[in-house]
Amino acid sequence: MPRVPIEITSPVEYLSILKEDGTLDKALEPEIPEDLLLRLYRTMVLGRLLDERMLQLQRQGRIGTFAPIKGQEAAQLGAVAALDPGDWVVPCFRETAAQLWRGTPMENILLYFGGYEEGGRIPDDQKTLPVAIPVASQLLHAVGLGWAARYRKTGEVAMTFFGDGATSEGDFHEALNCAAVFQTPTVFVCQNNQWAISVPLSRQTRSKTLAQKAVAYEMPGIRVDGNDVLAVYAAAREAVERARAGEGPTFLECVTYRLAMHTTADDPTKYRSEEEVALWAQKDPIPRFQKYLLEKGILTQEKVEENAAWAGEAIGKAVDRYEAMRGELGDPLEMFEHHFETLPPTLQEQREELKRTLEAERMESHDA
Amino acid sequence: MSLTEDKLIQMYTTMVRIREFETKVEEFFAAGKIPGFVHLYIGEEAVATGTCAVLTDKDYITSTHRGHGHLIAKGGDLKRMMAELFGKKTGYCKGKGGSMHIADVDLGILGANGIVGGGGPIANGAALAAQYRGTDQVAVCFFGDGASNQGTTQEAMNLASAWKLPVVFVNENNGYGISCPTCKSMAVADIADRAAAYDMPGVVVDGNDVVAVYEAVAEAVDRARRGDGPSLIECKTYRWRGHFEGDACTYRDEAEVQSWMAKDPIKRLREKLLEQGILTEDKDREIRDAIARELEAAVAFAEESPLPAPEEVLEDVYA
Repeated sequence: MPRVPIEITSPVEYLSILKEDGTLDKALEPEIPEDLLLRLYRTMVLGRLLDERMLQLQRQGRIGTFAPIKGQEAAQLGAVAALDPGDWVVPCFRETAAQLWRGTPMENILLYFGGYEEGGRIPDDQKTLPVAIPVASQLLHAVGLGWAARYRKTGEVAMTFFGDGATSEGDFHEALNCAAVFQTPTVFVCQNNQWAISVPLSRQTRSKTLAQKAVAYEMPGIRVDGNDVLAVYAAAREAVERARAGEGPTFLECVTYRLAMHTTADDPTKYRSEEEVALWAQKDPIPRFQKYLLEKGILTQEKVEENAAWAGEAIGKAVDRYEAMRGELGDPLEMFEHHFETLPPTLQEQREELKRTLEAERMESHDA
Repeated sequence: MSLTEDKLIQMYTTMVRIREFETKVEEFFAAGKIPGFVHLYIGEEAVATGTCAVLTDKDYITSTHRGHGHLIAKGGDLKRMMAELFGKKTGYCKGKGGSMHIADVDLGILGANGIVGGGGPIANGAALAAQYRGTDQVAVCFFGDGASNQGTTQEAMNLASAWKLPVVFVNENNGYGISCPTCKSMAVADIADRAAAYDMPGVVVDGNDVVAVYEAVAEAVDRARRGDGPSLIECKTYRWRGHFEGDACTYRDEAEVQSWMAKDPIKRLREKLLEQGILTEDKDREIRDAIARELEAAVAFAEESPLPAPEEVLEDVYA
């Protein structure tokens, strides 16, 4: 039997609109209302400043381990900006800016990374799921939410985030396959930040792109410059529209870079060079977008400064609220709650033991 | 690629051996002599045969729940296989493993496997060992269409590609994952397309054409031996019997089964070999008689062998 080349129907494209030096491909420029552009800019800056503040808080022992977003603001904001408030967002653990966009209160983010489970609670009027730590597990949740939306004909779209490392997980494969088979309105946003903790992309996969993984599922896959908020937005909007129109899922690869550490428990100088980081620092998504807005006359230097001051103040207030809440939260005995309807005997014993220890400590501190 | 007459006869013999073995299993399972579960390979013989004909004893295979054909093609001992199916002490797993656990490490058979998609990571491990030791061994992972949707399979193909492991992923697409047709479990028309996700070559072959399977696998094995990494080969085939013996097959119609039976891989090769004068009716009878004797001996061996003693039940579980 002669070999017959198979025609692969799912396209894989690359999109870049706003180059790193701020040059614009005018023909590809998406139409975005001015208020949306400004909101994108404000949230990018707020996300960056909150990230910097959180790093300080972590180093001071005021919050726990967290995953900085520095450098990835455009990838996540361009994507969520294409959604309606009624759509679902299913994050992993590096989506602080996306959470801010969706209205997750800043103190909830701080509480979560401060070790208070209350921070993970979804406000009643919101459709942004809490942080998911197990790599790639959340993709399946987004397929389920999409499937439910399709079944109930609600018109909702589910967008999920994950990194380059997640694409090597079996859950990734099962999620994309199911989404394609059942044509769920799911948008898979991969923030390809080049490093899965200390594993470089070249050791993660042999594929030239991650977007081409969509081919395996007969799903459109697109690769965009993830530091170009216009390109991310344009691609995400197309994916969201496709999903809402009942035309199934899309895989969106945002090529970006994490300028900081994997988490605050990691030292990236052990595995990557300063030259590499410096190279990517030049591709920072914020300055090029700021330049674009200044040139368009939507932003002025004065507004830039005003915005930075506003963000700093908002963060300061959120930190104050967080620290005030900490005093009232965090009873260690709560760790036994929410797992079992009736606590098994061994855990009951452990709970009693901890309770006695805490009471004894309290008595001691009273005596002292 | 030209196959020698000997090689063609050898492949024909292997296919007939698999078919006859499975027919015996079908008979003894129905008679209640084989406990547990069996998944028969009838109709898919060309895949295992064409693939294993490329390999040497030093190469590895990982098999599936439908593994008898792979084991026979890789040189498994019919007596010990049959004894295992009968649950006898002389079987490959001392009668305690049954159909889905037969392994023969000396022949590179790393085991049948009851876990769908369980073979990929094992094949990778064997291939990594070969790569590390600098041998030219390759590992073949047989897996079905259902397994191609399992996360383990994607993890295995990705890692094999990223590390350039000498693995050949041989997909046996028989159209159904139990009762689920492939059109309901994947949106791609060809599983071979999935190779694109890992930047590895992917080809579709007629899985009922043993020569086509042989040629595709030979190319992939050469590639793997050269150190150029893994390949994916999708063999389109069909199982004549149910998913397991006892499956009522209410999910497919008789016309479909008949259409595939018309594409019988053994009949096709037989006709071709007769036409080319490589096989004669006499030679065919000789081959079939020899296999019948071999199977008679295997069944007698299985029937006459003792059952394992009840007190041995916990032995061989842990090292």
